[in-house]
Amino acid sequence: MNSPRWKKLLRDLQAARGRMVMMVVAIAISIFSVGTFLGAYTISIREMSRNYLGTNPASAFIELDRVDDALVQAVSEREDISEAEATSWVGARAEVSPNEWMPVLLFVIPDFETSHVSTIAPEAGEYPPSSQTILVEREVLPLLDLKIGDAITIQTPNGAKQEIKISGTVHDPALAPAWQEQTVYGYITPATLATLGESETLHILKVTVSDKPYDLAAIEATVSELAVWLKAQGYEVHEIRIPPPGVHPHQSQMTSVIGLFLVFSFMALVLSAILTATMINGLLAQQIRQIGIMKAIGARTRQITGLYLVLIIALGMMASIIGVPLGTVAARGFTGVIAQLLNLEIYSDAIPAWVYLILFTVGILVPLLIALDPILKTTRITVRETLSDYGISRDASASNLRDGWFSRLRFFDNTLILALRNTFRRRGRLILTLSLLSAAGAMFMTGLNVSSGWEASLDQSAADRHYDLEIRFNAPVPAEQVDSLLTDVPGVEKSESWNLLPVALNRPNGLEIVRTYPDGGHGSFTLRSFPLGSGLIETPLLDGRFLQAGDTDAVVLNQNAKAFFPEVKVGDEIELLIEGEVKTFHLVGIIEQTLSPSAAYVLPETFASATGQPIELTNAVRIVMREHDEEAMASITRDVEEALSAGNVRVKVTVSEALLGEAISGHVYIFIVALMMISAVMAVVGVLGLASSMGTSVIERTREFGVMRAIGAKSKTILRNIISEGVFIGLMSWVISLPLSLPLSFGIDYLIGMLSFRSPLPLVVSSVGLVVWVALIIAGSIAASAYPAQQASRLTVRETLAYI
Amino acid sequence: METGLVSRKQAMAMPVAEKPLIELRKVSKMYDVAAGKFLALKEVDMQAEAGEFVAVVGKSGSGKSTLINMITGIDTPTSGEVFVASTAVHAMDQEQLAIWRGLNVGVVFQFFQLLPTLTVAENVILPMDFCDTFPVNERRGRAISLLEKVGIAEQADKLPADLSGGQQQRAAIARALANDPPILVADEPTGNLDSHTSDAVMGLFAGLAAEGKTVVMVTHERDLTRYFTRSIMLSDGVVITDKDKK
Repeated sequence: MNSPRWKKLLRDLQAARGRMVMMVVAIAISIFSVGTFLGAYTISIREMSRNYLGTNPASAFIELDRVDDALVQAVSEREDISEAEATSWVGARAEVSPNEWMPVLLFVIPDFETSHVSTIAPEAGEYPPSSQTILVEREVLPLLDLKIGDAITIQTPNGAKQEIKISGTVHDPALAPAWQEQTVYGYITPATLATLGESETLHILKVTVSDKPYDLAAIEATVSELAVWLKAQGYEVHEIRIPPPGVHPHQSQMTSVIGLFLVFSFMALVLSAILTATMINGLLAQQIRQIGIMKAIGARTRQITGLYLVLIIALGMMASIIGVPLGTVAARGFTGVIAQLLNLEIYSDAIPAWVYLILFTVGILVPLLIALDPILKTTRITVRETLSDYGISRDASASNLRDGWFSRLRFFDNTLILALRNTFRRRGRLILTLSLLSAAGAMFMTGLNVSSGWEASLDQSAADRHYDLEIRFNAPVPAEQVDSLLTDVPGVEKSESWNLLPVALNRPNGLEIVRTYPDGGHGSFTLRSFPLGSGLIETPLLDGRFLQAGDTDAVVLNQNAKAFFPEVKVGDEIELLIEGEVKTFHLVGIIEQTLSPSAAYVLPETFASATGQPIELTNAVRIVMREHDEEAMASITRDVEEALSAGNVRVKVTVSEALLGEAISGHVYIFIVALMMISAVMAVVGVLGLASSMGTSVIERTREFGVMRAIGAKSKTILRNIISEGVFIGLMSWVISLPLSLPLSFGIDYLIGMLSFRSPLPLVVSSVGLVVWVALIIAGSIAASAYPAQQASRLTVRETLAYI
Repeated sequence: METGLVSRKQAMAMPVAEKPLIELRKVSKMYDVAAGKFLALKEVDMQAEAGEFVAVVGKSGSGKSTLINMITGIDTPTSGEVFVASTAVHAMDQEQLAIWRGLNVGVVFQFFQLLPTLTVAENVILPMDFCDTFPVNERRGRAISLLEKVGIAEQADKLPADLSGGQQQRAAIARALANDPPILVADEPTGNLDSHTSDAVMGLFAGLAAEGKTVVMVTHERDLTRYFTRSIMLSDGVVITDKDKK
């Protein structure tokens, strides 16, 4: 480093501290953004899997008429079964305030200490729970605003309302968080279940298979064989649940978030490349005369090229040293947010070595590769060209047509016209700056557009529901009775009798195998009926037609249910397994239901003939209320509950619009958080890019400012000229980024929507995004150009004309 | 050597030529400008011997700077040949030119063009560094002695911005002499200096010519003619007079 050329390099770095810092910050931000998204991706995917697999999830849950110790022992001894255990699930409800209920899912565990299939981890309080007490999933306490030791009022389908003490909490990573599902998860012993009014008999057999535990087909084959054997042993085999093996119930949600991260990581990388190119061009513009002088006194091209490449490597290293740790910290922080949202435990926040390798590549190799071309181009310019580059370039005379047009702009003063002309002078750099800003703007707006798309989906799903309250009964009751009970409730505008029943796909072996998780929600498939002419189901038709009078065996599937029948078209027949019997339906239409589980819709007559349930009975009711403010709805719900109770109609679960809305928005919240963060990063990168470009533009034109000053331009005029130019560029980029954001938003809406719910999110242009970005770009343009403008306006005429 | 392709070692070991040190044969230079084509030099012939102090004079736009750019290899002729110390400058590529120029021609600019972040001494050492001419541990000593020669040794460790115009131009001359080139080419080196400083700088160049260096200088200051041994006048890209004062 004793050589003057290296000293020059070091001192140039020192002299152009502001620019160098900006360049380092820009590259560091790129590394930071890629690091954040990629780091969060690696940690989340690993920890989610570790959490879920850590519970030793059952390969299948077989619902039998009874499961006793002898059976568990016999199944465990089978070669194709690795482990077997008995359990039970009971759907109940908890009274969270007088006559206000929330769904409860009780997991009955005969022996907490020895359970080793689909396990839970003790978190706080007692473990196992003492007699007559309940353990709840750790996310339940904040949801209900309770603490260990408090009591919770629970009513099971066959029991009376009872208070039960919460003796502790557990972590169940196999479940989606309670707040997301708006469901209370409780863990009790069979004895406690008995005190709640239910039978102690267990009826679920959990098994893990010995061979290929993550192969769905292998599991299905083994479990089918087991089911046949169980039948042969005299057991009644009802439903068999085989959830996607090794996959967390929110894996698809997570995959979507991860997909989003990866897409944006790539975009951040592209943006980083453009930003680096802008910065390097700026740097070289400042150095071009010095390069000429060095060549005039004997420097060879490769000596100068070497100098600047080393400079870029040094800057890249500095940026990496800053960006990599910050990126990893942010990745860990962001993973923490994801973990909280998905109720995961982060056992290790280690980021794999390949991520660091990529980050250092992004930090050093990418700038180097991008810089190579402009460096080679600049250092290959002849001495004459470099020494005659006064900033009043060949491009300056670019377009007489355009300049003539500018001259005719009578309403603007000369400074603004000059700024407009200046904007177009260096077309190469203008294109680069516009690319950077437009890309950043498009990504910023895309973030907000996709976020708005999610919100629109939420609104759409709420609008699709058309009802305010759904009540499912313990057992079918006469529809007329329900109607008459509800007619007297003053807040009820309208009620409709519906029916809901879980169904399965028909398989050759006649077994009722479903893809539902233990929570009963994820992966579920239900058959639903509603009265003809119902006003409570109006959703977009994707294909075919809706149900109409005279349809006796017609079915309409929503898009999620259609995915179970990939080969089937409208007009074909489909077979469903309903309570162990195969029923055939004619598929007449496919509807789109936003954020809804898989469902098949039929008319009440079809439901009655398929299930054997008399047509005059109903197992659910959907209610439209007269008032829609939160308090009134809660009060009407209470009145409905009382009316049904007075009529001896036992309620299994009450799902209010508010509860459903919260549950669905809970699933979407994580996306919105991710998109907001992405947008913020993009905004910072964009504004930095503009600052760099403006700084370069000013440096290149320093002599020109000298000339302007010499012929009478005031500092204020120069200041205004430069700032106006910055604002023009900012506004132009805004105009470009808007149409650019549309296909980008459409693509991400499609990707995320299909990954999450097999239905693209609607393309929504966020007005907030448009306004915030234009405000940001104007403020950023002013801020970015103000400093170089101020510097330029302070130079004396002599200084500017002698500028090297 | 008529091909003009020289390596650095060849360039350093170049014998003193019997031919003129600088020889331009029918050199023309055409530029593409916004208004069309502009012929800056029209079949110019010119020769200069070792030890000559040649003034290139003429009005603005007459082709003076283009002519000396042909000698330094900063610009290449559209047609014609340029030989400097028997080297065919016109036939060399940019990389060869850089090596050759660093060793054979010292360039002095009107606006001094010292690198602002290097000290005066470092600016002088820079050509030695690029051309790898003197042993590293001798370079500073040589730079100081050159600065002494131009009379600003005490300014060696200052940055160019701390020097007056005249001092900066002296530093630029010292830098031009760093690799001990046989030829010095200066483009209006006094154009930015007051008359007193101009005289001092011209005295320096005259002294160097007296020591055997060939100095070619563009100027349009008539009162400096006393320093030159020869004066070439250009007008519209054509040599109209070539006066040898010897």
